[in-house]
Amino acid sequence: MKKLYSNKLVILSLILPGLLLFLFAILAPICLSIYYGFTDYSGMGSFRFVGLENYRQLFQDKAFGRALLNSLLLAIGFVCIQHPLAMIVAAVLDKLGGRAENFFRCVYFIPNVISVAVIAYLWKFIYNPDFGLLNNIIKALGGAGGINWFSYDNAIWSVLLVLIWHGFGWGMLIYYTGIKNIDPVLYEAAAIDGADEKTTFLRITLPLMKPVIQVNVTMAVISALKQMETVYLLTNGGPGDSTQFAATYLYQQAFKAYKYGYGNAIGVVFILICLAATVILNSVFADRDVPRAGKGTVNV
Amino acid sequence: MKQKKRNPLVWLILTAVAVIQIFPLIWLVDFSLASSTEMFTSGLLILPKKIQWGNYVKAFVDGHFLLYLKNSILINVLAVALVILISILAAFACRRMHWRLSGFVKTLLLMGMMIPIHATLLPNFKIYSVLGLTDTMWALLIPYVAFSLPQGLFLMTSFMESIPEELEEAAVIDGCGIYRIIFQIITPLLKSSIATVSIMTFLNNWNEFIMASTYLRSPTWKTLPFSVLEFTGQYSSNYAVQFAVMALTAAPAVIVYILLNKHITKGVAMGAVKG
Repeated sequence: MKKLYSNKLVILSLILPGLLLFLFAILAPICLSIYYGFTDYSGMGSFRFVGLENYRQLFQDKAFGRALLNSLLLAIGFVCIQHPLAMIVAAVLDKLGGRAENFFRCVYFIPNVISVAVIAYLWKFIYNPDFGLLNNIIKALGGAGGINWFSYDNAIWSVLLVLIWHGFGWGMLIYYTGIKNIDPVLYEAAAIDGADEKTTFLRITLPLMKPVIQVNVTMAVISALKQMETVYLLTNGGPGDSTQFAATYLYQQAFKAYKYGYGNAIGVVFILICLAATVILNSVFADRDVPRAGKGTVNV
Repeated sequence: MKQKKRNPLVWLILTAVAVIQIFPLIWLVDFSLASSTEMFTSGLLILPKKIQWGNYVKAFVDGHFLLYLKNSILINVLAVALVILISILAAFACRRMHWRLSGFVKTLLLMGMMIPIHATLLPNFKIYSVLGLTDTMWALLIPYVAFSLPQGLFLMTSFMESIPEELEEAAVIDGCGIYRIIFQIITPLLKSSIATVSIMTFLNNWNEFIMASTYLRSPTWKTLPFSVLEFTGQYSSNYAVQFAVMALTAAPAVIVYILLNKHITKGVAMGAVKG
């Protein structure tokens, strides 16, 4: 038994596909990024090494600062708007039962299975000043309409709205699963003690959901940092960098501004920020460790 | 426990959220059936004078719908199959086999989860150009599999822990080799996690387009989102056809989701709670 399980050749054959893929598709590009990050390569022709010049420039780059600020805004939007709403809806939905519960759960998740390309262009039309849905709704409610949702000041909020809307179903589903995993005996006990719905939610659901909330908040912050596709198609960072995110910015710098070296330097800093954010969030939450509510079995 | 009366406020909240989530899509389908000139109304929905099925015909033909759909299906099915195969092998090697670096290699592979996929766009573009992989299926398949693998590995290892080792001991005594243990004993027991990993991988990659638009030039391997991306340039003034192509490209995923919604919900819930 022992011998069979420590056969080096077998181990190698099992782990090699995964390891090679990691080396080729993840580690090698990172190393290449670090290399090009030290150069003034434009994307073609020759280049020279410029040392830390790109990084020095990056720390003074207002657009990159704006990108990080936008990621922060998005993370706040997820955590303070999307998640509380998602959790309340999940708690309400959980009590509904029957076919209606399945129906609503299904409806809420539909935007998540639709391609970002469709979502982005759909919202471009919704924001359209001439025939867009949003201005028409405002007109129907008695407003003037004709608002330019992609002006310098409005654009970032318009982008945030789309992202919060699009991810809502996903967040809702995770909280819903978390709530389903709470032992119903607790609710019965609370009902016998005469607790009303608000007290039950605040005293039972919320505390027991803590681990789920922690996981969800971590994922929300990371996905706010990693945001690219929707913004790329909606505004491509504009007008004037007001909706820039780290990933859209590095892409533009490399392929539009022909600063491939600089783009790679952004990529390296971007990776470091993502790693740091993951490690910090995990350690912050690990300090106040609570036993997980779910036992791995999911009842949906 | 007494059954709570469904109070009207509950219905109000749930319906309002449902309308917010779904109305834009109803609007999309509605406008896709109208003609472009009818769009400039101030009403929320249009009642088309004549339903313009022609929009969909244009979208279907000029959007290369069938070719891109075929590419999407092929690439995603291959990606899912590879992620499952490779993650089961790696999970078995890291959880069950005895070797000194098992923990380290597992952590290393899981690190992939933290790496932002978009940071690899620039260097990978270079690597694929040099190796002549741009404009081939591999340019999509390699990163799709690589970036879905960490999650797959994570889920497979955590599910594998729940399989008792005695099962394998019995197989070893009967003279079973490692590969047979993996494929004939372990894999059938991992059914539910295979479903979860498949769903998560599919959801991650089905709608991906930024890598595709970076690494591909010709239409040979382009995937479904390109129907939409290419159309906006081509029919920039014909809005109705643009609506039709968006509705059409969204349709396959939505239909599959509605048909399999129980399984997909369960898969996402399992994947996300564990991950």
